Amino acid sequence: MNRRIRRLGLAFAVLYVILFVQLNRVQFFGAERLQEHSINSRGLIRDFGQERGSIVSADGVVIARSVEIGEPVDFRREYPEGDLYAHIAGYQSLNVAATGLERIYNDELAGVTVEQQFRTLADLFSDRDTTATLHLTIRDDVQRAAKEALGDRRGSVVAIDPRSGAVIAMWTWPSFDPNLLADPDGSVSNAAFEAYLNDSGDPLLAKSYREVFFPGSTFKLVTAAAGVESGMIGAFAPEFPVTDAYNPIPAGVPIRNFAGGACGGDLIEILRISCNTAFAEMGAEWVGPEQMIETAELFGFNQLPPIDLPNAATSRFPTDYGVRLADVDFYRGTEDIILANGAVDIYEDTARLAQTSIGQNDVAATPLQMAMVVAAIANNGQIMVPHVVHELTGADGTRYGTTDARLWRQALRPSTADVLRAAMVEVAVNGTARNMAVDGLLVGGKTGTAQLGTDPPNSHAWIVGFAGTGDGVPELAIAVIVEAQEGASEQTGGVVAAPIARAVIEAYFS
Amino acid sequence: MTALGHSRRERVAPLYAALRPRRVEAGILAMVAIVVVVAYVLASLGRTASIPANFGPFLGWMLALGFVAHLAVRRLAPAADPVILPMALLLNGLGYVMIARLAENVPGGSDLAGLQATWTAVGVLGFIVTLALIRPVRILVDYRYLLGAAGLGLLVLPFVPGVGREIRGARIWASLGPINLQPGEFAKIALAAFFAAYLVDARDLLRNRVELRDLLPIGIAWAGSLGVMVFQRDLGSSLLFFAVFIVLLWVASERTMVLLLGFGLFLAGAVVSWTQFPHVQQRVDIWLDPWADARGTGFQIVEASFALADGGLTGAGLGQGEPDRIPIVESDFIFAAIGEELGLAGTSAILMAFLVLIGSGLRIALRATRPFDKLFAVGLTTLLGVQAFIIMGGVLRVVPLTGITLPFVSYGGSSLIANYVLLALLLRLSHDQRTVRADGGSRAENPS
Repeated sequence: MNRRIRRLGLAFAVLYVILFVQLNRVQFFGAERLQEHSINSRGLIRDFGQERGSIVSADGVVIARSVEIGEPVDFRREYPEGDLYAHIAGYQSLNVAATGLERIYNDELAGVTVEQQFRTLADLFSDRDTTATLHLTIRDDVQRAAKEALGDRRGSVVAIDPRSGAVIAMWTWPSFDPNLLADPDGSVSNAAFEAYLNDSGDPLLAKSYREVFFPGSTFKLVTAAAGVESGMIGAFAPEFPVTDAYNPIPAGVPIRNFAGGACGGDLIEILRISCNTAFAEMGAEWVGPEQMIETAELFGFNQLPPIDLPNAATSRFPTDYGVRLADVDFYRGTEDIILANGAVDIYEDTARLAQTSIGQNDVAATPLQMAMVVAAIANNGQIMVPHVVHELTGADGTRYGTTDARLWRQALRPSTADVLRAAMVEVAVNGTARNMAVDGLLVGGKTGTAQLGTDPPNSHAWIVGFAGTGDGVPELAIAVIVEAQEGASEQTGGVVAAPIARAVIEAYFS
Repeated sequence: MTALGHSRRERVAPLYAALRPRRVEAGILAMVAIVVVVAYVLASLGRTASIPANFGPFLGWMLALGFVAHLAVRRLAPAADPVILPMALLLNGLGYVMIARLAENVPGGSDLAGLQATWTAVGVLGFIVTLALIRPVRILVDYRYLLGAAGLGLLVLPFVPGVGREIRGARIWASLGPINLQPGEFAKIALAAFFAAYLVDARDLLRNRVELRDLLPIGIAWAGSLGVMVFQRDLGSSLLFFAVFIVLLWVASERTMVLLLGFGLFLAGAVVSWTQFPHVQQRVDIWLDPWADARGTGFQIVEASFALADGGLTGAGLGQGEPDRIPIVESDFIFAAIGEELGLAGTSAILMAFLVLIGSGLRIALRATRPFDKLFAVGLTTLLGVQAFIIMGGVLRVVPLTGITLPFVSYGGSSLIANYVLLALLLRLSHDQRTVRADGGSRAENPS
């Protein structure tokens, strides 16, 4: 009989191994699929069964908080400021997937991270509120000023402290009311979600950091920086010829100035009046594609910005300019220019480089990216990691984590930043960005008008700039875009966007 | 071998041989006690974030029961296998922690913890009584027909008017005053003893010739378990009875044909009942695709899957999950609750504990010298192992779900008492065979 008993033992071993394998399938390998199953409401009930930490602005205004309702779940989220912070805080809803900080700081707000659960041994024996409050870097007064100044025009405002990377204001219109989406009544939240999805203005999209636009002339800051970095361009030399058209080499469509005017001069001058022909020549014949690409990418183009918000868009600077032409291909009686500039190799598509150097062709940037360009110039060439969360604190005041100022990268040499800073101040004092200037503050700026090629002519009106109280690093870097404004003159940015930037600067320094 | 006429006292093993297993048992029990106490503290903290008020009494109650059982084994079966009792107490303890933790959340559950503690006490009492009275186990052979009749009687008890009760669609209950019992839990032990004794008698016949008459017992067992399924709607018990009988017949006859025949009959019965009985059909449909009606008939198993998935590797932590979302979680689905709060680590521990019990039981069967002892040990071990497999496999959707308790872990008085009796019988078998060996050894050295 013993042989059968041993076989019986083997049979039991097999049966229990089957159970063990199935346990692994359910509890480990297939667990995620089960947890995310559409009829599995465990996660939601857990999330809404307890109070959650608040989100507050740098100056203490409550942006998101839990409110006890009892039915159909214990708590719901409430957003007292309505649409003002919708693109940053996002929403947490029973019926619609969470977004923004509510999504990425879910565990911290709910108080379920290991750090929050077990801080000391004593926590094992006490009933402690483990939720964390999320303190933002956003200042409510500045955010509000941005919203009021932009009004009902479509556009975005991004303001950063260049010294730390702290985002001071980040506003996009159209926005949405997160309270509707967080409504526990599915018919309310789903209807609102549908309506927002179908809205042509795409109010759910935080265009300030998730949408790219033609940067227009604001991109000339990048070209100028590349020029100075290359060692070929100084503040007062060389002088670019005064002309009304730049003919790209080896061949291409001539590039003209706004209103067909003629312009030229040194770097300070061509930036002040935003001279297309001079910057096209600078990019194409003095800087060259390698340096242009390198500097653009050091500023953050073609890379995911390291901001602590989800789904950020990557700004673009074209990198393909064809093959380098051998000298023999190029010599067509233009030796004079080449020798005079002492310059760079010419590529098959150098004509395209002439366009990208003035922010045309396929260049695209988020408002956040342009604010980072200015921040680098303001902060001696250093770009700090942009962030909207300042710190996390527990109910008893414990600090769980502080976002210190962290260097993202050195985009420029400090000496290059000095040159550009001086040039931008000149633009705000005597140039196209005069409407941005504020008495008593050191302000530098650069306008942009990105023509959309529509009929009648429409353009994005841009302004980027910085403002500071003294000799040190300016306290604020700002980028403003007002989308699809009528007209296409170089003045558009200065007229439409500059007053918005000024209002935000005044709010910040008031 | 000692003649039956010798008194028991003469056959007691030398002290060193007898007490060593008990020291091992005491050591494992101490570890089990620590695990269970820590689990209870954690579960209470998870729910209320403070040490529970009834912490002291509980601790004393459960530790005392374990200690009493250990003392009883020391006194009554000192040479018995040292891991069986600790494994059972571990399962019992973890189950108790889970039931106490669930008590606040399941409907009408406030008394569950107290009741389960009481049942544990009764179970330990049954354990001691069995150890004290049934020595040696083979005295049961003399009562085999009485046991067979008692087993059948217990099975039909739920149909006796005035005594029988139908709860949750299954007619497996009998009420004794205010207490509801599942007589089937006790019937399984009586029937296992009867099968073992009967097969010892019939063994030689079965081995030598194949005649139609030999197939009669299989037919009767098959019809009997079909009857349990049809009339009591208790698929799990039906499968359990049939499996134990076939295993015993196979081991006794040493014929593979028995297994094939048994399997064939099982399939035939399964197919016929699947086509004829809606409640069987429903169980199979849920097993094949619980998602088809996830909010209706498949709700329980779907929620159990979600609970197990939430548990992951290490579990949500005792008292931190929501196992009360699963209907009847305290009984049939307690395995899913353990999976949610203790994770894969906890469920694997439960599996291991059962495997250790099965291994120990089969080792007792291997070492036993008398055919009845062998077969009875196999029967008892198969009861335990198959019952645990049926319900764990049901929860995990390895086999169709059938309502049956997880031995020692689930809430339920009848199950707990019956399984403690089963445990005592295994320990008694173990003690007897070891003393026989120790006896033989001492005599070889010291012939008299």
